[in-house]
Amino acid sequence: MAHQSGHGHGHASVATGHRKLADWIDVRVLRQDGPGQASYWERHRIPYEPEMNVISVLQRMAAQAKTVDGRAVAPVAWECNCLEEVCGACTMVINGRVRQSCSALVDRLLRENPGEIELQPMGKFPVVRDLVVDRGRLFRALERMKAWIPVDGYFDMGQGLRQSQSAQEEMYPLSECMSCGCCLEACPQYTKIELARAEGETDEAWQARVREAYDLGFAGAHAISQVMLFNAHPTGRNNASERLDALTDPGGIQDCGNAQNCVAVCPKRIPLTTSIGRAGRAATLHSFRSFFDR
Amino acid sequence: METNRPFLVRHEFLLRRLHSLSGLVPVGAYMVIHLLANASIWNGPATYQSAVHQIHSLGRALIVVEWVFIFLPILFHGLYGLVIIRESQPNSGAYPLVGNIRYTLQRATGMIALLFIVWHVFHMHGWFHGEAWRELIDPWGAQFAPYNAASTAAEAVQQSTLVTLLYAVGITACVFHLANGVWTIGITWGVWTTPGAQRRANYVAGAIGLGVLAVGLAAWAGFAFGVRTSDPEAMDAIRAIERRLLQEKIDSGLITEEQASEKSAHFGAPTDR
Amino acid sequence: MAGQRVMIVGGGLAGLSAAMKLAELGVDVDVMSLTPVKRSHSVCAQGGINSVNDQTRQLGDDEWKHLDDTVYGGDFLQHQPPVKEMAYWAPRVIELMDRLGVTFNRTAEGFLDRRRFGGTLYKRTAFAGATTGQQLLYALDEQVRRWKTEGKVRMFEFWDFLGPVLDDRGVCRGCVGQDLVSMEIRAFPADAVVLATGGCGLIFGRSTMSMACNGGAVSRAVRAGAKYANGEFVQVHPTAIPGADKLRLMSESARGEGGRVWVPRRPQDTRDPLNIPLEERCYFLEERYPKYGNLVPRDIATREIFNVCVNEGLSVEKDRQCVYLDLTHISRHELDRKLGGILEIYEKFQGVDPRSTPMKIFPAVHYSMGGLWVDYEKAADGGLRVGSARNHVTNIPGLYAIGECDYQYHGANRLGANSLLSCIFSGLIVAPGLVEWLAGRNDSTKDASESGRLFEQARQAHQERHDALLARSGGGENPYLIHQELGLVMTKAATVVRRNDQLAEAVQKTNELRERAQECSLSDTGRWTNQNVVFTKALVDMFPIALAILEGALARDESRGAHFKPDFSMPSLRATSPDEKRREAEQWCDDFEASTAQWLRTTIAEWDGNRIRLSYEAVDTSLIPPRPRLYGLVGAEVIEQVWKERQAGRAVPGAGTAH
Repeated sequence: MAHQSGHGHGHASVATGHRKLADWIDVRVLRQDGPGQASYWERHRIPYEPEMNVISVLQRMAAQAKTVDGRAVAPVAWECNCLEEVCGACTMVINGRVRQSCSALVDRLLRENPGEIELQPMGKFPVVRDLVVDRGRLFRALERMKAWIPVDGYFDMGQGLRQSQSAQEEMYPLSECMSCGCCLEACPQYTKIELARAEGETDEAWQARVREAYDLGFAGAHAISQVMLFNAHPTGRNNASERLDALTDPGGIQDCGNAQNCVAVCPKRIPLTTSIGRAGRAATLHSFRSFFDR
Repeated sequence: METNRPFLVRHEFLLRRLHSLSGLVPVGAYMVIHLLANASIWNGPATYQSAVHQIHSLGRALIVVEWVFIFLPILFHGLYGLVIIRESQPNSGAYPLVGNIRYTLQRATGMIALLFIVWHVFHMHGWFHGEAWRELIDPWGAQFAPYNAASTAAEAVQQSTLVTLLYAVGITACVFHLANGVWTIGITWGVWTTPGAQRRANYVAGAIGLGVLAVGLAAWAGFAFGVRTSDPEAMDAIRAIERRLLQEKIDSGLITEEQASEKSAHFGAPTDR
Repeated sequence: MAGQRVMIVGGGLAGLSAAMKLAELGVDVDVMSLTPVKRSHSVCAQGGINSVNDQTRQLGDDEWKHLDDTVYGGDFLQHQPPVKEMAYWAPRVIELMDRLGVTFNRTAEGFLDRRRFGGTLYKRTAFAGATTGQQLLYALDEQVRRWKTEGKVRMFEFWDFLGPVLDDRGVCRGCVGQDLVSMEIRAFPADAVVLATGGCGLIFGRSTMSMACNGGAVSRAVRAGAKYANGEFVQVHPTAIPGADKLRLMSESARGEGGRVWVPRRPQDTRDPLNIPLEERCYFLEERYPKYGNLVPRDIATREIFNVCVNEGLSVEKDRQCVYLDLTHISRHELDRKLGGILEIYEKFQGVDPRSTPMKIFPAVHYSMGGLWVDYEKAADGGLRVGSARNHVTNIPGLYAIGECDYQYHGANRLGANSLLSCIFSGLIVAPGLVEWLAGRNDSTKDASESGRLFEQARQAHQERHDALLARSGGGENPYLIHQELGLVMTKAATVVRRNDQLAEAVQKTNELRERAQECSLSDTGRWTNQNVVFTKALVDMFPIALAILEGALARDESRGAHFKPDFSMPSLRATSPDEKRREAEQWCDDFEASTAQWLRTTIAEWDGNRIRLSYEAVDTSLIPPRPRLYGLVGAEVIEQVWKERQAGRAVPGAGTAH
């Protein structure tokens, strides 16, 4: 709708006073054809357009499907959906730093690192292909932490409990977590867990093995923050102790090393370290209580 | 499946919390006392020797106290620290943020501190008792004699420039590790939770760190430079004081002759050097 | 119900609310989704969700008025019983979502806060910051995750729906899906399949929709014989941020909080907008609609912005159409407090601070009012019979459709903050109906081997299609470029203003593109996470829906809601003398009634394998009689008076048979 021309070439933005930063954009991509295979770098070159983001760069690369030396290659695989930084799909490591590719603006990247853009898959999750990784462990952590409100059911039971504005203002930012995985990628305590499926292993056996491995790994800042979200909710706090049990199980809050990268890289600026501090306090009280009160 | 999990995994939360706690008490607290005691050298060898005598006045209980409150906690803190480090992937190169650099430094200083302390105990204490062992490791280990505290400690620290430097590095690493640990322990246990509180706590931890570093470097300087081991007359004077203080303890029956010979470098030997 | 399963395709608000409710009712559920369900397009909804509430009730509001606003806003094109049921459920839907932990904004006293949206006089809209859709989706996602851990729901994320499986009696018995990672094609037996796959914005190239909104699943149902209804009704949102990859929504609330829309009077004035003096600015909405100013309804704002750029040549930029949406006269503090979230989006993606520089915006395709035709069972009270297996079933028994991919609730134009409601409501209402359907399906497993063969055949057919696509030497066409071309064709012909010559040309071009799409060469012929082949399949499936939209629009010679054809619009009154005006108004009402008699019908599009066939169906307007939308029309008050007199005349039996 907006660009009547498909590419919107050459318009000058009055407000930003864009100047053309380059004629071409070189993109170096770390590719991998499948799990367990060797990764390799590949260079692509696409014409520069103003106001591009990494998604549109990848779209142009997919349409072109050629390396810089003209070799036809399969398009780079990547994950995305909303393109406005609310779905969390398009996380990757861009110029060495984890972020959402939709909000990674090319002009800014070129200023940061003139000449080329470097794309890598997240390093903390198993690579599926190219820039696509398997973030199943991230979602599994939400199951572990019982990250939901334990309502009786979905029949009409009248209004929910009243909540103060300040309670809402505390919970809302935590509830904006879009499970993108940036906090995990940047966390030095969160290390990759990659299993290989055995020959002839059933779906169930394989999933159980993966789950067990994931459950022993660090849950990460996002999951800790979700515990604090649900434990703050007037109904959610009814099973707060179950969540704190989960939070103090192997791979729980205790694995945090206080590097505080999570809060620095979070695209939604969620106060993750505050959640971690509060989770630490809750875990302290919970462990005393379960030791001395039982 | 849960019952099959190894001990370290099953009790991870408890172990981590004990690790966190042990860093402050008793290990950190002991270190502060230890450095304060050592810094008393600036008040003269007598003060220092008296402090050492006071510690050793526990007699046979000392070994229990040392193991329960010092060696075992340090070993636990240090060895479990290695377990923790083994599971971490520092990335302060890719993410050079202050908190992250401190994270990396905490692990680096932890490893330096562990090596330093193990070496320090060997260098001063010798790890094990026994005459044959002592002779075997001399002059690398067991250089400290409690009843000749100031003289032997100074001689040990000044053994070589390398040794002197190692002590400076070791003390600095230990102090950073403690001060940064004070800050993280407050987060771990949930004392300071918000960025504002953590910033204020950071000032406190920084102040503690600088204070302890001042004490530590003072102690180090006291033994590295304050005691002039190259001056035989000065050293004789120190040894004389140490002998006198020891004799007082023997005379008052607090120390037996046997103990005295065990814990002093020169007792019974009319002269050295 | 033991051993019976329901397959839900799509995990947005509609799909997840259906999954959650079915699980509660004891039904085993499978959910298939292109993305992890938490990343579904519902997260993009910003503004809020409508319902009557205690406060509006005391100001004279009630569910009936919500119904009235919705059908009036939709230009009466929707069947009224489902809308009535939705309006009456709305307060309970919001209460349920509140109980599920949605972080709705609160009043000082702790009640849900409400804001006002377009098309109503009441503050009906509950909201959670500027990310209401995200918050609602997460609450449902959490509940479904809970059911998953209890084994009641199985998730098939990163799976593509390839088509329903119909038995020889034409009943849907399951579906075929493809794993987007391993490319495995698998048949999923199910006692019912529910499509909840959202809109089809990708057909327009760039829109405010997410990359998963390609319409593929719906098209595959249409290929299998499902009817597609009211396809030509596509909402174009007046204010979006143009981007190379996507047009990002700039919520109506920006104007609600005082944002002003303008263009420089001198075309493509190159000065800094803040340095352009007031008298050289054209606040065209305020000038043309002095009463409503910048807060005219969506379709009108869209048309005016489009008009000022395309016909009057006053676009801010030469090569790109856009107008200024200006908030710079409002204090930064005020803006941060009320609009923080959406201003951040602008700042993040444009690199410009909208608090100090006017935003550049342009309309963008936003929502499909049309969708799969679905049935309903009317109850005696004029609403729906809850628990009827007919609710939301397509014309294929056992195949259901809910959410944006059905056509049921919004008629010719959707009101703001009604879509989140219709999505959740349709998910909740389809569940008890499915239970009734399942109860009547006890024979479903009677011949296991026969049905085994059925599924294997269906799977095999899709496998062969897939393999053939991979093996195709190809004619050198590039699927990504064809998609771009399709987007341009659709955007030009079938968005804000529609003309029959352009539509006819677009139909022809789309058919050409469809031919060319058969000649696509794949740049990836691999068998692992092949996004190239998945995209190509989706592209090929865009054409039936694209043609349904174009043909529907071409055939419908009137203006109704989002479908605006200037050649067939009802004119303003031109006369000046009262008598003459009165006569014109009578004529106007006659024309309106004639047009209503001809066009107040649902467009039904069916795909015969090669082309779209259109038919029309009467609309149930039994609750609220259709009346003209007179917005912005000169002489509206006279027309309204004439119309009221006619209605009054009709109310007396036997009287006033005006025609």
